[in-house]
Amino acid sequence: MIKLGISAFYHDSAACLIVDDKVIAAAEEERFTGIKHDSSFPVNAIKYCLEEGRIKISDIKEVCWYEKPKKKEERVYKIFNKRPLRTLLLRFKAKKRFKEQNPFLVLKSIGYKGRVKFVDHHRSHTNFSYYTSPYKEAAILTIDGVGEFETITISKGQGNTITKIHSIDFPHSLGMLYSTITSFLGFKPNEGEYKVMGLAPYGDPRRYFEKLNKLFKGSGSNLYLLQRYFTWEYSEQVMFNKRLCRLLELPPRLPEEEVTQKHKDLAAALQKIYEREFIYLVRKSKELTGTTNLCLGGGCAYNGVANALAYKYFDSVHIPFAPSDAGSAIGACLRKHTDITPYLGPEYRDKQIYKALSKYKDKIQYFKLSEKKLIRKTAQLLTAQNIIGWFQGRMEFGARALGNRSILASPRHPIMRERLNQVIKKREGFRPFAPSVPKEEASKFFHLKEDIPYMNQVVKGRTMLIPSATHIDGSCRVQTVTEEQNPIYYKLLQEIGGMCNIPVLLNTSFNLKDQTITLDPQQAIERFLNSRINFLVINNFLIKKK
Amino acid sequence: MIKSVQKIIKKWRQEKEYKKKLAELRKRDPFTYKNF
Repeated sequence: MIKLGISAFYHDSAACLIVDDKVIAAAEEERFTGIKHDSSFPVNAIKYCLEEGRIKISDIKEVCWYEKPKKKEERVYKIFNKRPLRTLLLRFKAKKRFKEQNPFLVLKSIGYKGRVKFVDHHRSHTNFSYYTSPYKEAAILTIDGVGEFETITISKGQGNTITKIHSIDFPHSLGMLYSTITSFLGFKPNEGEYKVMGLAPYGDPRRYFEKLNKLFKGSGSNLYLLQRYFTWEYSEQVMFNKRLCRLLELPPRLPEEEVTQKHKDLAAALQKIYEREFIYLVRKSKELTGTTNLCLGGGCAYNGVANALAYKYFDSVHIPFAPSDAGSAIGACLRKHTDITPYLGPEYRDKQIYKALSKYKDKIQYFKLSEKKLIRKTAQLLTAQNIIGWFQGRMEFGARALGNRSILASPRHPIMRERLNQVIKKREGFRPFAPSVPKEEASKFFHLKEDIPYMNQVVKGRTMLIPSATHIDGSCRVQTVTEEQNPIYYKLLQEIGGMCNIPVLLNTSFNLKDQTITLDPQQAIERFLNSRINFLVINNFLIKKK
Repeated sequence: MIKSVQKIIKKWRQEKEYKKKLAELRKRDPFTYKNF
């Protein structure tokens, strides 16, 4: 059975191709259009999936859509009916948008006329999280902004069966609360949440904790957010109103304004509040399911600091590589457990690489090396404090670069973080970088409970030897690497370990400021030339500037 | 008396700033958040 999974029209549009329950290809639309978190219909991602599977659109037997548009429409109008006059214009806008985004129409435009299966938004998250886990029985907790009605669900997975046990509906949404404060702090919602997480350790949560607590009615796992501070039900513009400013006694920050201690304190308080609510939900998941394993899904599962707290109630925690809406394109298709890798995107042959290299022959010099020599040379360059653009094999699916589209550097020197933040990525200095380490060496450097293959948990470091990959509070967002998962990256880490006794690399996504992660060799070379990255590796080619 | 006047002025200034900032944010597309 050939299935095409689609996530579209909200954020992080994506497509995947599944043949006989095996995921053949998957990619996010943003990589092809260059628009971060692109929400448009993923025509380019679909095209790539079909090419990778060497099939035509007519070969697809079923399209699995990651949510139920009719149900979502029902929720939107139900909410608008609370304030019919105030939402009149928005209602027209919504009507137009729903019409344009009709899945049957957009699928028809690419020549598909077959069956379309619509899957509940949170069920798609649940499926992706549980069916990609190693568990035969687990609690599944999904938290995001909003799906159709639900914002949080708790389910139990047993064998290949998933049963929903508990849910919380819009407008009571932890995801939207996090995004609201993100925008209050001058960062873009649905994107800047990482920045708020990175900023939180610099602040003292006590200044704003009680104030933020006033946004909640009661406490415990039945989340209830007082809507008088938010505009989600009647506005598409700013997510909060003047009452929130009054409550916090703080004006919202504009992006160009300086980040003050007050902003850091607010970020810290938000993170603390989120962690408190998250732990309530984790405890409830334990009580309702009685299992020892937990799967996390939904966009909030990118909150690595909170995720690590789940071990208080569970022995094992699984977070997939793309827990947000992009992963739901895959989740919508899955009906049973599947072996999956995050490396599901395009890869490029030597011929295509030569073609890209020849375009820039005046500006670069390149050498084709054997794998062994390439690893040795790259390790030498990294230990000599060079920054390397690292492009290998198939592109990762999800927000994290996991060693195939990465910028690598040695984390041993404290200045490296500043160099990468300010010179290469041109981003805020407070943002941390993640370390990659071979699985078997991880416990020497980090306090971890389990492997973290997808960088979605933040743990405490054990050493001061990697200052550039350690955050101000001593925490690290680790990626544990196995030979099975990524052989060449694993070998590189081992080689580094052999040279300096610290088999750890600083790994950040291969993109410059406000760009999406690198897709192809040409883009890699352009970004290499437009930045102060010292060397570029594309598969077996080592490239330097002339 | 002076303190309460100062308090009123401070509050008035704050309100003015909130209003100004919110108006500015409304103009900026990146701050929109689609809930549908």
